[in-house]
Amino acid sequence: MTAEEVLSYFSPDRFINGLRARSKDGVLSEMSRILAEDDDIRDPGLLLEMIRRRESLGSTGLGKGVAIPHGRSTAATQTKVVFAVSRRGIDFDAMDNEVCRIFFLIVAPYEDNKQEYLPLLGKIVEMVNREDVREKMFAVECFDEFQEVVRGALGE
Amino acid sequence: MSDRVQKLAQLQDLELMIREVQDPASKEQEEALGFSVGGLEQLEKAREKLIKQIPGQDLRVYWRIRRRYERAVVPILNRICLGCFQELPTSRTRAFTDSDPLPTCESCGRVLYWL
Ligand SMILES: [Zn+2]
Repeated sequence: MTAEEVLSYFSPDRFINGLRARSKDGVLSEMSRILAEDDDIRDPGLLLEMIRRRESLGSTGLGKGVAIPHGRSTAATQTKVVFAVSRRGIDFDAMDNEVCRIFFLIVAPYEDNKQEYLPLLGKIVEMVNREDVREKMFAVECFDEFQEVVRGALGE
Repeated sequence: MSDRVQKLAQLQDLELMIREVQDPASKEQEEALGFSVGGLEQLEKAREKLIKQIPGQDLRVYWRIRRRYERAVVPILNRICLGCFQELPTSRTRAFTDSDPLPTCESCGRVLYWL
C-alpha cells in the first residue's frame, strides 16, 4: 500500500486539529460526528455504538500517545479514516497508561470486499510505531502538512 | 431511520464483532498489530439483551435472510441495493411506519437500510 493509497482514505474534512473533547467517550463522539457529514456514512449513531463496543473488548490506545479506534459496520459504505490531534491529551485507558494525543478513527463497511481494512490498519500502525513520525504528526497544523508526514513516513 | 431497521443493523454489527472475536485468524491479526481483543462473553450478553428489544417478527425475517446471505441488512446508495446491486423501483420511498412490514429489496429480499 503506497502513501497515496493510504492518503485516499483521509480527507481535509476528516482532519481535526485540536479535539475539543476531554474524555475518551467524548473523543469517540466528536470523531464519529465528523463522519455524519460524509455521504458514505449517514448513521453515526450506529457507528458510535460499534466503536464503543470495540473499545469494551480492549482499549485501542496502543500506547506512546496513539489510539486507533476501528471497526466494521453496516452504517459504512466506504472505508474512511478520521485523523485528530488533542493538544491536552486524553486518558484513553491506553496500555501504557499514558494520555493519548494522536487519534485515527477507522471505519469500514460490513463487507470488506476489497480487503482494504486490515492492510490500512497495519500501515497506520507501522507509521505510528516510529517516534519521529509520531512527533511530526502531533505537530501538524493543516491537512497538507499531515499528507507530507505520511508521504515521508511511507517513503515517497 | 426506522428504529426497527436500526436495531437489526445493530444486531448485524454485533454478530460480526462476535465472529471476529471468535475467529482465531482475525483475532491474531489484530493482536499482531498490538491491539488487545477479549470480552466475548460480554458481547454475547449484549446480543441477548438486544434481541429482547427486537419484535419477534422482525427477528424471524432477519434470521430467514441470514440463512441465505452473509448480510441481512444492506444500505442503499443512489437507489441501488448494496446487497444485489439492483436499482430500486422509483415508487419506493423512504416513508416507513412502525406498523409496516420491514422494507426489503424486491430482488434479493434483504432488509433495506435507508441511507
Ligand atoms: Zn437487493
